[in-house]
Formats: sequence, structure tokens, C-alpha cells
Amino acid sequence: ESGTPPPPPVGPLLFFTQSGKMDVPWRLYPKAVLHLPEKVIIAVAYDCVDKMVYWTDITSPSINKASLQGGDAIPVIRTDLESPEGLAVDHLGRNLYWTDSMRDRIEVAKLDGSQRRVLFDDDLVNPRAIITDSANGHLYWTDWNREAPKIETSYMDGTNRRILVKDDLGLPNGLTYDSHSSQLCWADAGTRRVECINPNQTGRRKILEGIQYPFGITSYGRNLYYTDWRRDAIIAADRTVGRENDEFQPQKRSRLYGITTAYAQCPQGQNYCTVN
Amino acid sequence: DSTIGNPTDCKPCPCPGGSSCAIVPKTKEVVCTNCPTGTTGKRCELCDDGYFGDPLGENGPIRACRACQCNNNIDPNAVGNCDRQTGECLKCIYNTAGFYCDRCNDGFFGNALNTDTADKCKPCSCSPYGTVDRQTTCSQVTGQCECLPHVTNRDCSACQPGFYNLLSGQGCERCDCNAVGSTN
Repeated sequence: ESGTPPPPPVGPLLFFTQSGKMDVPWRLYPKAVLHLPEKVIIAVAYDCVDKMVYWTDITSPSINKASLQGGDAIPVIRTDLESPEGLAVDHLGRNLYWTDSMRDRIEVAKLDGSQRRVLFDDDLVNPRAIITDSANGHLYWTDWNREAPKIETSYMDGTNRRILVKDDLGLPNGLTYDSHSSQLCWADAGTRRVECINPNQTGRRKILEGIQYPFGITSYGRNLYYTDWRRDAIIAADRTVGRENDEFQPQKRSRLYGITTAYAQCPQGQNYCTVN
Repeated sequence: DSTIGNPTDCKPCPCPGGSSCAIVPKTKEVVCTNCPTGTTGKRCELCDDGYFGDPLGENGPIRACRACQCNNNIDPNAVGNCDRQTGECLKCIYNTAGFYCDRCNDGFFGNALNTDTADKCKPCSCSPYGTVDRQTTCSQVTGQCECLPHVTNRDCSACQPGFYNLLSGQGCERCDCNAVGSTN
């Protein structure tokens, strides 16, 4: 295993994973953040408090972390995983949530891997993306079950589980929540669309249509950034006007997987878990 | 190390196709950073996710990376569909199993290689009352469950003619009807 210690980060960054490589697109950052050439890294998540990146590895099924300031990979969860594909950090409650598409489970543990427990092990076929809205205490995840794809939500303790979207979905691979605009957006490789919804309201909007094969998605400012398995690229699109405005294609051509935004500062807010 | 100033300070990357490399500062290990398409690993010795092979021939003859061979019994939207070195299929669907998703999973029967997905592998659905040890598996080909004495049907769900009491779970018992008073 190897890690290239990067210079201290400045400002918000995007992370994406490509095979065993975690990289930052565009010209923001010149070097790979992390290179684990023997691994296949799928999901990536960021803890804005301790400035740590977390990722899931499907080759030796595990969840690991490393400091953004450089440092070795530290295993967080190493047992009882088969295909961990989605990962979310609750920076307020200091919890880690993940999906496992082989065990068909959603689990939670503290950021150090302790107090692990199964949140859901029923009505899941191909759970993939998972994200948190820490300030409001909500959890969201996708299931790309071809028979009945869905986007679900619950409180962060697993209560009040319900289906948020089930109509007109195909393969919802990616999910992102933007706390500034309160928009939940997903990237769907089946309908080949990016769509957004305000989880509290009924409004559902098509942002992009006729895209190729999206996998991961993240939001930053007005933009959404999604990875694409056909274009082997990250595509930026303005969420408000629904138009692509940039593309980044790494030199190496291969599938890109998870993508996340690392804010320089944590968003404001507290939830039930921080005060209890 | 180019800071010393000798013409031999920079060595070519030990990476296929003249691709680039980097030195890991802590360990001084050389790692390829832009492996040729379809390959990855420190020396580009591994295949990308969704492919298998031995591109450098580390464990025998060189086998170029090729897509997982799983008899169309994997989902292209899944990740980690096969072992990157051996090609063993890891995510068989449609109730199939086996190294190449080429047989039915336990508890299912049929032909995993059928093109019509509905025709591939059907559940054995063995009757718990009529099957030996309440087994849930059946013949992979015919779907015949292993029936208790005097129990019949593929799924061991009925008694043979002249026998009764399937629900005993011990096999069916002879009716012992009086030949004079019975209609057949």
C-alpha cells in the first residue's frame, strides 16, 4: 500500500475514486491524494471535523480512513463485509453509515468502527448510494433493484423509514444532498437522468437528460458533479439551469466510481445525537 | 533522484508501455501511476474491476485482461463481478451459482445457460412433508426432490395411488381398504 502525502488542503475539494486511486479533478490539486494500486475503491466520504477521508474497498472488503494531511490507510471496519458500496459520514453524530449490496444491509458504527449495528436488513436488494443530512437528522439511500428501484429515507437512528421516490427510476447509482438549497439529487444510469427533489415537498425536477452512464454524484455550490462509466470522466453541471459546463477526464481511461465534496469548514448545525 | 546531477539519475519507469510512475516518499517504492487501459496495480499486474487475467504473466502464461465471463448471469451495473485474477464469478444473479455462474444455486433447478432469464433456474419448492429430511434442494437437471416412501411428484407433494397421510412427514401409508367394499 502506498500513500502520497499531499500538501495541506485549502478550500473545498472534490474527491473521486478510480480503481484504487483517489484523486482530485481539475487543476485544484496536482497529485493523487491516495493510491492503493491493488484495491478497488468504490465509495468515498469526508469528515469535515477531523479532515479524514473514508472509503470502501471491495477487493478486501473493508472500510478505511486516512488523514488528508497525509498518512497511512487505517482500517475502520474489516469484518462481516462483502460488497460495501455506499458510505456516508455524519459529522455531527460522529457516525459512519454504509450499504453492503451482497449482505443487503445498511449498517452504522462510530467513526472509529466501534458500536457497530445493523440499521436495516430487510427490503433491500441492491443498496448502493447513502448520504446523510446531519443537521436535520435524515438518512437517504438508493436501491437499484431492477424490479423495483427506489430512494428511501429514515431518521439517522433508523426509525421512520419510508420510500421517498419509486416512480420513473431505473438504476439510481448516485445520491447527493445539498444543505444550502435543501435539494436531494440523484444520478440514474437507467433513465439516464439527473433529477432533484426537495425531500419535504413534492417538487421533482429533471436537471439533466440523455446522459451516458452516471455512477457517483456530489453537489457543490450551484454545480453538481457526477462520474460517468462511459465517458470515464467527471462532468460538472449547473443545477439551476440544468446544463453541463465542464468535464474532467483523467489521463488513465477506466471507470470512475464515488465522488464527494470536502468542504473547508463544516456546515453549521447540530442534531439530536450531538446533544445526547 | 535527479538532484545529484548524474546522467543515470533518472531511471525509466518499470511500467508497461512506458507509462508514468512515482516514488512513494515514505517507502521509496516505485508505483506505476497510469497503467495501460484495462490494467492497474503497482506494476500494472492487475486487471481493472470487471475484468480478469494476468497481464504480466506473474502466475503462468500472460493472459490479457478480458471482461468477466459469467454466462450473462451478472448485472453490468454491479461492481466486483468477478475475481480480477482467476475470473471466478462473485455476483451471480437469476438464482445461478458456480465459478462461471453456470449452474443453478442450491434449492433451484433448470439450465443456468438458458438465454431466457425466466427459464434459467426455478425454485425446487420441495414439499416439506413429502421430502427426505425436509431437504430444500433437488436434482439440478430434473428438479426431482428426494421423496419419502410412497410419495410422488417432482416436488414430493402427493402420495402414490393407494397411499395416504402425506402430512405425517414419515412417508405415505397404505390405504389397506377392503378389496370387497372399495370401488377400485
